[in-house]
This record gives sequence, structure tokens and C-alpha cells, in this order.
Amino acid sequence: MIDLSYYLGFAFSLYAIGIYCLATKRNMIRLILGVEILVNAANLTFITFSAYAVPGFIDPLAHSIVIVSIGLAGSVSAVALTIIVYAYKHYGTLDVTELKRLKG
Amino acid sequence: MTALFILPIDVLVLFTVLTPFVGWLALRIKRKFLTGLFAAVGLILSGAALYNMYAGVSAGSPVLSAPYSPFSSFFRVDMLGFIMAAVFIGLGLAATVYSIGYMEKDTGLPLYYTLLLAMITGLVGVAFAADLFTLYVFWELMSVSSFVLVAFRKETWEPIEAGFKYLVMSAAASATLLFGLALLYGLTGTLNFEALASSPPTANAWLFITSIFILVGFGVKATIVPLHTWLPDAHSAAPTPISALLSGIVIETGVYALLRTYFTAFLSIQTQWFGILAVLSILTMTVGNLMALLQTDVKRLLAYSSIAQVGYMLVGLAVGTQAGLSVGLPSALPAGVETALTGTILHIINHALMKGVAFMCAGAIILRLESRNLGDMAGIARKMPITATLFAVSLFALVGMPPLNGFISELTLFTSTFQANVGWLGVAILLNSILSAGYYLRVLRTLIQPSMSEAVSKAKEAPAVMLIPLVLMVALIVLFGIYPQPVLKLAQQAAQELLRIRGS
Repeated sequence: MIDLSYYLGFAFSLYAIGIYCLATKRNMIRLILGVEILVNAANLTFITFSAYAVPGFIDPLAHSIVIVSIGLAGSVSAVALTIIVYAYKHYGTLDVTELKRLKG
Repeated sequence: MTALFILPIDVLVLFTVLTPFVGWLALRIKRKFLTGLFAAVGLILSGAALYNMYAGVSAGSPVLSAPYSPFSSFFRVDMLGFIMAAVFIGLGLAATVYSIGYMEKDTGLPLYYTLLLAMITGLVGVAFAADLFTLYVFWELMSVSSFVLVAFRKETWEPIEAGFKYLVMSAAASATLLFGLALLYGLTGTLNFEALASSPPTANAWLFITSIFILVGFGVKATIVPLHTWLPDAHSAAPTPISALLSGIVIETGVYALLRTYFTAFLSIQTQWFGILAVLSILTMTVGNLMALLQTDVKRLLAYSSIAQVGYMLVGLAVGTQAGLSVGLPSALPAGVETALTGTILHIINHALMKGVAFMCAGAIILRLESRNLGDMAGIARKMPITATLFAVSLFALVGMPPLNGFISELTLFTSTFQANVGWLGVAILLNSILSAGYYLRVLRTLIQPSMSEAVSKAKEAPAVMLIPLVLMVALIVLFGIYPQPVLKLAQQAAQELLRIRGS
């Protein structure tokens, strides 16, 4: 059995990739992909721990959590894409740096 | 018949599902206000179902959801959850009735009320959740519906831009929260609050990392500086009833969730968090107040002042973490902890009332003037005397002026810091209250200014349907200020239950 630390290391690097994507990318769709990567890092962690908590036993709780969480992430993406479509209609671009009229 | 979730949530879900049909019928018979009325009825029924739980909850026996319910969700209504749900449903009802007048000219009202009810459902679910994953699911329900509500007036650029910013920050925060929950699950094997409280994970580096992820996850919604940047944009771009809800209750769920997690899962590392939370609270209130001083847009001003108010609530949480000093010795609770938590819970209730009224009064003025600029509102008090009076009361309450409710909760927080020997936090609250008077009184001065522009002189009083909820809420502001004992007692009981859950 592969050691737990490899999985965790992978999940943490996925998380870092997601944050990097959110911080540097300018395309709105890529930002949403960054959020999806973050969610997947969390899902992977749940699945990993479900198998490693008790040796030889897989906790179904974590799996049901992950299935629900995938659904939730899907609905967030759907809303995000809808907003992106409207933003594209207004600005004619997907570049998020063009959306700078608000001061923040 | 078993309940799907738990009765108040079931009622809300039912009305959420039915609202589009009722809205469609209302459009067919050209009575648009019926949709809002239907949503309001749903909230009243849900409130009645909630009130039915009061006897059990106040006697100290939490109401549990039925085991093996269809969705296997798990709820536990204790005093804290009860108070939060009552605040959510109450302000939700006020905003719904207010929307009947405010959103009159908008299209897509069935969608609007459906999302509004879905958001309240999510909020109530967060308040009732007995485990962190149920909380997360309802948290997402609340978030997703609020994204759409912020971007509701999609014909203009501002809501789209604010909505997208809010969505990306909030979704990234939710994912961070989920990652934190996954780590917590790995550490303990459970996400149930009671199980976490009865055998809190031992303090180690992993638990600390987990708590950072969870703090960031909840902190974006609770607008802890430096995670606050979505708030001013989203709050000023959303339709005003939604701004009132976002500011009055949605950001408080972040504080509520932090209260829940810090007094269950993170008991063993609470004391390490005291310094960080104290610094964050001072930063949050100071940045909120300073930025509010610079604003000329009245909704942005109120949005920044919400950040400052969250800072006051965090003071209570920070002082409350001193409870961690006495883990394992339930008799020797450090002084000031209970008072601090009471103050935080009380301030959540009071802030919902005060900020709800302030936003909705500003909204009534904006509806008549079609401008959010403070300078354009000069002299409006002469044309809209009732709105301006209600606005003035809510602003005085936000400053913390006796005998209004804001004074009571800020005083409670202030006293608790001195009881816990961290008086510098109390001094920070005091100084920030004085600072906040600077912009609240500037708004008032503008309202009563003698000079009047042409637009102002043509304005007339807001419609009655918008004023009625405001008058009732202002009555509560004054009542809770003059006679705070009943609500103070409830908040105290909630704080005691929050503290009792540990170690028992």
C-alpha cells in the first residue's frame, strides 16, 4: 500500500496549483478551473483518509461526502459560467483585468 | 410522515420549490405582488414552526432531527442555532416584504423570490447543522443563491463584475473550507460537533494547519480583513433588500460557524489562536471604519461599516478563546469568557436589526432619487421624514448610543475584555466606535442639510409596504435598547450551552 504522505503531498500540491491558477490567470474560465482544482484537492483528501483511517476498511461516509461535494462544485461552476456569459456580453472579452471598474 | 430535514427547513424548501409556479400564475393574472406575499407567508410559517421548538430549546434540551431521514442530514437545534435561525427568518421576512415595494419595476420576480427563499433555507440549515458537512452543504446553498442574487440586475455592468468577484472569492474559500474539513476528518474520523467536542483532537501541528484552512474558509464569508475585498462591491451592486440580507445575516454566518468550530474541534488549540484572532479583530474594525470614512456612495459606506461591526464580533470570539485555558476543569472558567460570547451573540442579533434598517432606509432613498451618491441626498429628510427618522435611529444604534440596542452589545463586549484582563481590546472597540461616529453622523448631517437639489425636492415618501417592516424593526431596536434583559438572557443561555458542550 502506498504511503499516506504521497497522497497528502499530491493533494497539497493540487491545492497550491489551484491557488497559483487563481492568483495568476487572467481568463475567467481558467479562474473557475482553478476553483475546481481546489475542490478536487479537498475531495482527494477525503477519499485518501477514508481508506487510511482503519486498515483494510473503507469509510463510506467520506465517499458520500465527496459525491455531494462534486455535485455542489458542479452547481457553482454552472452559476459561474452563466455570469461569465453575461460578462462576455458586456465587455466582449474574458480577460478579468478588464473588469476593473470597481475599486475593491 | 417523517420530515425531510427538520420542520422549519422543510417549510422553506416547500415554498422555495412552489414559488416559481406561484410567480408564473401571479404574472398571468397580472398581480406581481402575490409572489412576494407567497414568499412572506412561507417565512411566517417557517417562523411559526421554529417558535414551536422554543419551549424545548429554552429548557436546555436541543431538538434533534429524525434519524434515518431521506437525506441523512443531521440537525441539532440548540439555543445558539435557534437564535440565529430566528434572526435569519426575521430579517428575511422583513426583506421579503420590503422587496414587494422595492423590486416592483424589476422583471424576473419569481426567480428573485425563489433565490431569496433558497438563501434563507441555506442560512437556517447552517444554523441548525449538527455536523460540519451538513453545514457545508447548506453553506453552499446559501452561497450559490447569493451569487445569483448579487448579479440579479444583469443588464448593467456593475452587478456582473461584483457577482463574479464575489463568486470566485467565495467559491475558493468554500473549497479551502472543504480541504480543512477533509483534514479534520482525517485527524478525528468524524465531523459531528458533539463527537468533536467530547473528544477534541489533541493539539499538534496538523490540527493547527487544519484550523488555518477552516479559518480562511469561514473568514472570507465573515469578511475578516484581509479577506474582505468582495464585500463592498457585492453589497453595493446587489439590490438593496439583498444588501441588507448579505450584510445583516450572511456575513454573520461566518462568525457563527467560527464560534461553532472553535468551541468544538479546536478546543485544544484555542489559546494559541487568541493573539491571532485579537489582531485580526482590531485590523478588521479599523480597516472597516477607515475605509468607510472615505466613501461617498452610501451603500459602500454601509458595507464597510459592516466589516467594522464584524470586527467587534471577533473581539468576543477572541476573548472567548480564553476558555481553552480551562479545558478539563469545567468549574474554573476564566472570567469574561461567558460575557464575551454573550456579547458576540447579542451583537449578531443587534447588527442584523441595525444594519438591516440602515440598508433598507438607504434603499428607500435610492429608489426615489435613483442615485447612491451621498451628496445627491442632501436635504432628503425634509421630503422623506419617516424614512430619515428611521435611518437616524439605526445610525445612532450603530454608533452605539444609549439607549439603543447597539450600545448594549458593545458594552457587553467592552466589559468582557476588562474582565478577561485584555482591556486593550476593549479600548480598541471604544476608539473604533468614536471613529465610526465620524461617518455615521456625516450621513445624518447630509440628510438634514437645508439645501436641496431639484431631484430631492421632487422626491416623495417611500411606499407603506416598505416602511412597515422598517418601523417594526426600529421598534425592536429601541425595545432591545431599553429593555434588553429577555434577549440578553437568551444570548447568555446560548453562550453557556456553547461552553458546556466542551468536555461533557
